[in-house]
Amino acid sequence: MKAIQAEGLAKTFRVKQKEKGMKGSIQSVFHPKTEEVRAVDGVSFSVEEGEVLAFIGPNGAGKSTTIKMLTGILYPDGGKVEVLGIDPVKKRKQLAYQIGTVFGQKEQLWTHLTPYDNFKFFAAIYDIPEREADARIRELGETFALGAFINTPVRNLSLGQRIRCEIVASLIHRPSVLFLDEPTIGLDPVVKENIRQLIKQMNKEFHTTIFLTSHDIGDIEKLCKRIIIVNAGRIVLDDSMQNLKYHYLNKKIVEMKLQEETTLAPMQGIAVLKEKGCHVKLEVDTTKMRINDALAHIDAEHVEDINISNVPLENIIMEIYKSEKGADGGLA
Amino acid sequence: MLTAVKNQVRVCVLSIKYNIMREMLNKVTFLTNICFMALNNAAFIIQWVILFHLKKDIGGYTMKEVMLLWGLAASTFGLACILFDRAFSLPDLIISGKLDAYLVMPKNVLLSVITSSTNTSAIGDFLYGILVMCIFSFSVGRFFLFLLFSAIGAVIITAFALMMGSLSFWFVRAELFGDNMVNCMISFATYPDGIFHGKVRFLLYNIIPVGMAVYQPVHIMMRFDLGSLLTVLGYAILISAAAVFVFYRGLRRYSSSSLMAARM
Repeated sequence: MKAIQAEGLAKTFRVKQKEKGMKGSIQSVFHPKTEEVRAVDGVSFSVEEGEVLAFIGPNGAGKSTTIKMLTGILYPDGGKVEVLGIDPVKKRKQLAYQIGTVFGQKEQLWTHLTPYDNFKFFAAIYDIPEREADARIRELGETFALGAFINTPVRNLSLGQRIRCEIVASLIHRPSVLFLDEPTIGLDPVVKENIRQLIKQMNKEFHTTIFLTSHDIGDIEKLCKRIIIVNAGRIVLDDSMQNLKYHYLNKKIVEMKLQEETTLAPMQGIAVLKEKGCHVKLEVDTTKMRINDALAHIDAEHVEDINISNVPLENIIMEIYKSEKGADGGLA
Repeated sequence: MLTAVKNQVRVCVLSIKYNIMREMLNKVTFLTNICFMALNNAAFIIQWVILFHLKKDIGGYTMKEVMLLWGLAASTFGLACILFDRAFSLPDLIISGKLDAYLVMPKNVLLSVITSSTNTSAIGDFLYGILVMCIFSFSVGRFFLFLLFSAIGAVIITAFALMMGSLSFWFVRAELFGDNMVNCMISFATYPDGIFHGKVRFLLYNIIPVGMAVYQPVHIMMRFDLGSLLTVLGYAILISAAAVFVFYRGLRRYSSSSLMAARM
């Protein structure tokens, strides 16, 4: 069954325009100018139940606007959307019982209350009886290891602890779909990894559908099996992570430490990225040259150490963002 | 249906309880805020004592009636700001996208929003109002009418503040106009309505609802009239319905924001 279904989803904002300086301010009083910005432009996609989807794109691509339309925060200007078979515009409250949201940049918890009191408040919001609420808090507290700080006011918690509490608060009613909007923003690598593990566990144990937006490639690589890339309000790529890597990982990075300083002769398919003393970093385009041929060209006898790796996913995604094809929606 | 209402009330009560708990975090600030607001209001008694020494009757009001007016105005605004303080800062929520948190909850957005904050000094206003009424014009019947009109007035004022605040859904910087209108209502509420005539009086009974929130209830408390009471009650229902309509119409235009925000 489809957890999320969006067809031709669109949202336009009217943005006030003003010439620079005081003169512009005065002019805008008498002749106000507005410009229409199409934040989401006919986006269509669907998400299966239990799927973990990465919905990514550069700043201003329309990710958050899409999430806000899916959760009933914003009214779409066009198109049709259903989450768990419910129209967020017509039945916002009914949908809210079945979805959870975590906005990394916006706190939902009361900072002067302890996580426990916050969870009790959220349980009341979702009409969960007292005894059941206590049982769920205990269960989630154990899963997310909140024991040490569950009775400390939220304002005294570290960012990582707070995000864990935000996620627990959004799970108190056992949502079927969880929307995570940059959940690991500002966290250190250890806490990030911890949060990712917890999200994975949640997906596995409760079969929760995860809709994730993030600028952190680690989140996407480690959590998601499918990726949707949006740019300028349009979907430019909707594919599995496996396919993305297969189609776009046709370049290899070769890092070598040579016995002595050498200047490599230019060759089609090999690009020298960095050359410093005996250290050389190359990019081999495997569509133009096999990796074996590239190594033969380098003269392996003089190589002291070698490392061959894929191009980081981050670079691939940046390429897709930048590509004109992408901007035109040609990759979708 | 009944369970849904019960659950909604439970959440609103919890929200108000947590708000007061937050305000009580610093005991000294909490108590001084309340005391100084009551003291601040009391300073105006001196002004009226001097005025009534010069003139026996101001706009048809005696000292006792003016004090009742002051008491009701303070209690009404106090109660509105204790229970529904966020209605008075709605533009900030609209402009900075802070309505998101309420829109993802399975509860009534409007009630969740307006009960999400409280104003400590308003407790001082509310207590001051009751105290003034008890000192200057106490009777058991009047006491209960006073509480009833404080509640009705709080609803009328909140509804008006909501309508003014909702303008921010349509207009940029509309909060300035809205704030002025609400402040205007507060200022007029502390003067006897008998001194206003013609267009100003029309304005106070129709556009700025101070007439129905404060003046008319004072008249009823001095000379009880069931018809007038029902009119005030009907007006409160009407203006509340209008406020709910305006808010939800505006909400369709809500555009959220990417600003970082914390629930404080």
